[in-house]
Amino acid sequence: MIEVRAVSYAYGDSSAVRDVSLTLGEGQLVALTGPNGSGKSTLLKLLTRVLAPQSGEVLFEGRPLGDWPAKEYAKRTGYLPQDPDPAFPMRAIDVVVSGRAPYLGRFSWESVSDWEEAERALALCDAAHLRDRYLDEMSGGERKRVFLARVLAGTPRLIVLDEPLAALDLSHVQQFSLLLREVVNRTGCTVLFAAHDLNWASAHSDRMLVLQQGMLALDATPAEVMTAEVMRSLFGFDAETVHVGGKTWIVPSQA
Amino acid sequence: MSGDLIRAIVLLTILLAIVLVLAVSFGTVPISWSDDAARTILLRIRLPRVLLAAAIGATLAVAGVTFQTLLRNALADPFTLGVSGGAAAGAAIATAFRLGRFPGLVPLVAFLGACGATAAVFLLARRRDHTDPTRLLISGLVLNAFFSAVILISFSLSREADLTAALRWMMGVVWGARWSEVIMLSSLLVVAMIVLVYVANDLRLLAFGEEDAKARGVNVERVKLIGFGAASIITGAAVAVSGIIGFVGLLVPHLIRLVWRRDFRFLLPLCAIGGATLVVAADLLSRILVTSAELPVGAFTAILGVPFFLLLLRRSR
Repeated sequence: MIEVRAVSYAYGDSSAVRDVSLTLGEGQLVALTGPNGSGKSTLLKLLTRVLAPQSGEVLFEGRPLGDWPAKEYAKRTGYLPQDPDPAFPMRAIDVVVSGRAPYLGRFSWESVSDWEEAERALALCDAAHLRDRYLDEMSGGERKRVFLARVLAGTPRLIVLDEPLAALDLSHVQQFSLLLREVVNRTGCTVLFAAHDLNWASAHSDRMLVLQQGMLALDATPAEVMTAEVMRSLFGFDAETVHVGGKTWIVPSQA
Repeated sequence: MSGDLIRAIVLLTILLAIVLVLAVSFGTVPISWSDDAARTILLRIRLPRVLLAAAIGATLAVAGVTFQTLLRNALADPFTLGVSGGAAAGAAIATAFRLGRFPGLVPLVAFLGACGATAAVFLLARRRDHTDPTRLLISGLVLNAFFSAVILISFSLSREADLTAALRWMMGVVWGARWSEVIMLSSLLVVAMIVLVYVANDLRLLAFGEEDAKARGVNVERVKLIGFGAASIITGAAVAVSGIIGFVGLLVPHLIRLVWRRDFRFLLPLCAIGGATLVVAADLLSRILVTSAELPVGAFTAILGVPFFLLLLRRSR
């Protein structure tokens, strides 16, 4: 579906993503992890055309991103930035229907089917009851669900989420992760999400990408990533592993 | 277009119509078609004045809501940003150099002043994806102080005969309105509205932030250029005609949002009608309260606007 070929990006002199190559197929739930400042957000921005690679290229369905008309590419991808913050108070349903914007022509308004798509996305995210509430009256978890619904309303094939689990309490993390799995199962799209919490990222993904200083250090299954050796060499701390419920959990060693 | 919007437009248009009729009817001479003198007063003085007030109000409110959306900040308005000040400084310089003899030159220089001020706002107040309210207000303050100085210097260079005209830029007045001004400003406003509606879907996405808008397929740089350009041009034109009328662009979007908390596509037409209503009403009120002299309507909108501005400032992050 999407292929990243030797992509690099630097902000001025400080390089953020270095020579990253990877391929994502259909229907995958992929976690992107790595220490703070390892280039996760930048890589996600390169995939969503927020930034253009300074070298290398990204191909979507075999076609370089630069060759896609902006609106056509926006119809196929959904991006949830780390901290979405509309400047003015807005109703949840207005936020969600704005996910249909790439489908609108100039001088045109959402059609009945656009509104239906928005309602459906809101319901899928278990947020139908928030429909007429304003964003500034919602909790962090409710806002996250509304914004995920906005992404889904655009019926994307590739969904890119930047730290969707940050600022959620544990029960919401659990809920949100199950929701992501359901979205992948139902729509067959690919989800790539950045997360710094390794335990949750591994518990709720099929595949993990680990970035280190802008380079792709590891591309493996959660079981392969969740080992004491990987923690020591890539994340820089000593850890022990615990096996509960068929999953591996990382616990930092006592110093 | 949605039914909600049509209902809101109809409602506000009725309000505007009532205020327009009141404003045209009120005056020392009662209106009458049969009496020649009364008809002349109506057609030559009162009607252009009232319609100019409406056009200026609509223009400033449209510029205000556009600046607010582009800068993602409810405190932005042509006056607080210093854009009106830049236009007034341009007009004052043009007057000092006696460019008023050439038609169209004063508005052109006013527009250049507005564009210069907009560019300065960009350089001073913007930080990557957002505008810091503190920096925004401080840069507006500094720019307004600078432009006041430019205007005062232009005054001292102007000939005595041009001074009354020059004073207009500072005061914000609609008296002595000419039909040509009404037509110039309203046609510019119509063109600007069409342009803004053309990019309305994009501007509405910009409220979510620039990166978010880019990921939604918006050509952010182009939309910003179009939006800032349109808002600066109409601000320049409004100031060239009537001088600085402050806070309209701040007050109107705020009042509209109190009732309709919706996106830019919704706010744009409502602000246009609401802005027209507000300035016509303010001018009418000033004529009712003081009959012995002509009060500058700009002073009136400022008296109304300052408390609202302080309220918004308290609430802003």
